[in-house]
Order: sequence, then structure tokens, then C-alpha cells
Amino acid sequence: MRTLGGIPIHVEPTGSPETAGALGAGLGAILSELATLLEALRRSGAEGAIDLRSLPLGPDDLDRLQRILGTGEVDIRIEANGESRIRETAVGGLWWTEHRDAAGALLAVLIEVARVPNILSPADEDLALGAARLRADAAAQCAEFGESPHGTT
Amino acid sequence: MAPPETEPTIGELLDRNGISRRSFIKYCTAMASLLALPPIAARAMAAQLRAARRPSVIYLSFQECTGCLESFTRSFAPTIENMIFNMISLDYDDTLMAAAGAQAEKARAQAMEANYGKYLLVVDGAIPTADGGVYHCAAGRTGLDILTDCAKGAAAIVALGTCASFGGLPHADPNPTGARAISALVPGKPVINVSGCPPIPEVIAGTFLQYVTTGRVPDLDEHLRPAVFYGNSIHDRCYRRPFYDRGEFAKTFDDEGARNGWCLYELGCKGPTTYNACATVKWNNAVSFPIQSGHPCLGCAEPDFWDRGSFYSPIPTARWGKAGEVSAAEAGTLAAGAALTGVAVGVGSVVLARRRISRHQRAPHSESETHNEE
Repeated sequence: MRTLGGIPIHVEPTGSPETAGALGAGLGAILSELATLLEALRRSGAEGAIDLRSLPLGPDDLDRLQRILGTGEVDIRIEANGESRIRETAVGGLWWTEHRDAAGALLAVLIEVARVPNILSPADEDLALGAARLRADAAAQCAEFGESPHGTT
Repeated sequence: MAPPETEPTIGELLDRNGISRRSFIKYCTAMASLLALPPIAARAMAAQLRAARRPSVIYLSFQECTGCLESFTRSFAPTIENMIFNMISLDYDDTLMAAAGAQAEKARAQAMEANYGKYLLVVDGAIPTADGGVYHCAAGRTGLDILTDCAKGAAAIVALGTCASFGGLPHADPNPTGARAISALVPGKPVINVSGCPPIPEVIAGTFLQYVTTGRVPDLDEHLRPAVFYGNSIHDRCYRRPFYDRGEFAKTFDDEGARNGWCLYELGCKGPTTYNACATVKWNNAVSFPIQSGHPCLGCAEPDFWDRGSFYSPIPTARWGKAGEVSAAEAGTLAAGAALTGVAVGVGSVVLARRRISRHQRAPHSESETHNEE
């Protein structure tokens, strides 16, 4: 077993509805903030996010929030020094995002409010590097087959 | 604090180590979360860090148990904390480095000379000052002499752990070695206390990151701790707080309240007087923290925590200090009713607990009960 994540901890939801209500009191505030962020996205295009790990949530609050938001149609997996998973919720524009490190440990859990999550778009520098690389590859191909880099004449 | 411009930028180092832009944004997203920045700030942080250069770090250990270094280098590799080694240049640490003896001393002297006035000095452990400081000597010099020498050229000093921050266990009564906190011994130098026994790895990493990103000492609380991590009490950020507000307390470690996960105040929880990030950042990759695991907070991030009476007795309300102010501030809000009821119930709870203890003290009891109360 390489990580603590391998220990099969199962969180039992607290039985009494009264108790569950006391612990889940913050969920209403999160839902209201998400609604505000969605309205801002529609109005001005401003993206937002809620960091779920900075909130004092109970052990089963995250599961409850996930159940309330539901599951959408898009499920994205990114391999970048550990897996990231971005799942669309049943609410369009809300993305449940989990970043993990190479050992599978959870680094960040957030709900992003965006038309497309920002991390998916390559940065300008990456576009420039990509174009330069393709130009070099094209030149190498042409040199090998005796063609002009702009096509055969 | 800017290192020489011949040093590669952090961005260049990341590229060299094959760490992609998306990996780095992930890391910055996690760090922004720790620093209580909006998640959107991660993008700006990533851009700023990529352009920065790594500061030289010299790490000294004195009266300590090496738990702080263990926390600093925690081995769930490669994790967010390990990423910090792309952000700093750890030029001297006698526990981690391969060199020993005269070679190690020479390496430290070289690092200090090359980065004089710019390096970050990290210290774990208290400094014994009684009897000329003889209780800690290395390479024929006292700890106090080594600290004084290394502090001269430091841009700032990070006191890592409760021993370095406040004296910790070596300073506990009767303090036979005259142990003192680092901040008391380096007049005029900026000191950042990162307390905790040990400090949370992510808090250590976050403190360094804040320094590297902004190039200055972060905002500190009255105990010189980074306000972003030590600004809230454990009690205020505790997920069991609603039980406190409702007056639902575990009375023993195996009663109905303990099984239901109720507030541990009566079992001696020091959450109301302890300022740290355990309740949100948690431990061991955010698996849990002491209260979530059913044990009261010991208050290890606070000065003199070892000498403040039993870990298992409720806090006398006179010691509430900052936590009391928070309750007063809450009085102006709609939630005041619940909060004030909680305080009132808390006070009542202390009285009840004391009554129980006096009852035990009057009656013959078993050895285990005695230990529990001690």
C-alpha cells in the first residue's frame, strides 16, 4: 500500500436527520454562491470557482453536495504529473474538478464556473512552441524527401 | 532578496525537469487553496512564480526531535510539498546532506558567503542559553553562536515548529537548559514563526511559497505566524462546531456523544484557544485531523502548550482570549443567538466537568481514571 488513500475508509452518513441537518448547514450557502457565479458568467463572462477544501465541511458533506449537483454529459481526464478529473455536473457551466498528484493523493477539489474549464486551453507560449516544433518537423521532412516546406512545385 | 540573475528562473527549472504548464497550474491551484486565495488567483500565481528565481535556504537544527524536518520532507512523493524543492535551493541541511564534519561546515560557509543578505535561514528547535549554551554544541560551537552567526546574513528567518517559535518542549517547566525561542535571540531580524508540533507540511510549503511569490515576509499575527494559516481558531473552523453551538458534548471517550461525533470541548479540546489550519488543511493528504479522529486538540501550535494544565481538562473560560472576541463579533449577526447559546452552554459544560472531576477526586478511583484526569 503506497498511500493512505489505499486504506478502505468508508464514511457512514450520520443517522439522525437532525444531526445531518446541523452538519450540512453550509451547503445552502455554497449552492447560493454557485447560482451567483453562474449569473455573473452569463452576464459578463467572468469565470469563478469555489474551493471546497478550504470550507469546514463535515465528512459526508462533499458526497451530499455531489448528489445535489448531479452528473452531466462531459467527463474529462487529464494526465499531468498525476490525474485530474473534470466532470460536468447536471448544472451546465458547473464543473466538479479534482486534481491528484502522481501518487493519487488529492491536491485540490473545486467547483469551477466556466463555459470550458481554463486548464484545458493551451497557453499562448505552448501555441508558439508547438508551431515552432511543427515548422522544424516540416523542414526535416522536406529535407528528407527533397520538397519545399511550402509544398511541391 | 532577489537571487543572482545567473540563476535560472523557476519556470526554466520546471521546463528542465519536464513539469508541464498544466501540472504547475494544478500545483498552484492547490497552493492558492492553502493561501486562502480565490481559485482564480492560481493563474496569476503560476505566471509570477515561473518568472521568479529560487532563494538560497540554509536549514539549522537545534533542540528538536526532527519531527519538523520529517514534516517538511514528508515522503508521499511526489506531492505538493515536494514541489517546494523546485521553489527553493536548499543549500545546507546537516540532516539531509551527504557531507559531514568539516566539509559540511565549509558548504554552509560557502552558501552564506555567496548569498549574503539574501538567503532564507530556516531553524527548527529551541536554543539552550543556560550555562553558556553548553547543552547544544556542534563543531565546537554552541547553538547560540551558530544561530547568531548564520542570522547575520539572512534576509529573513523561518522558525519551524513550536520549539523554534516559542521554546516548545525544551522550554517546558522547569526548562533546565534555559531554552528560548529563535525570535528572542535574533534582534532586528524578521522572523516568521511556523508553529505546530510538527507544523502541517502544506503550511510549511505555503509559507515558503508566499515568500518566494511576493519576495517579502507575509502578514503575521501577534505571535509572528503567517496570518493566512493561523488567523482562525481550530474551534471556529471545526466541522463539529454546530454541536458546540447546540450544547452537545462528548463527556467520555466512549459515550454516546463520542460515538455521534459531538463536540470534544469537555474532554479538554484546546480548539477555542488554538490558531492553526488543521481543521481545513488537515493531515496526511487531508485524510483527517485529531478532532475528526475523535481526540481533542492539544493546542500544540500555541506558546507554552505543554504547561497549560491537563490535555484532558476543559479550558478555563478566562483563557479564551481571541476566541471570546470572535464570539462577541458574532453577537451582531443573525447567528448570534446560536453562538451565544453555545458559549453559555460551553461555560456550563466547564462547570459540570469540574464538578465531575471534584467528585472523582473525592471518591476512590482507579489508576486509569487518575491518568485521564491528569
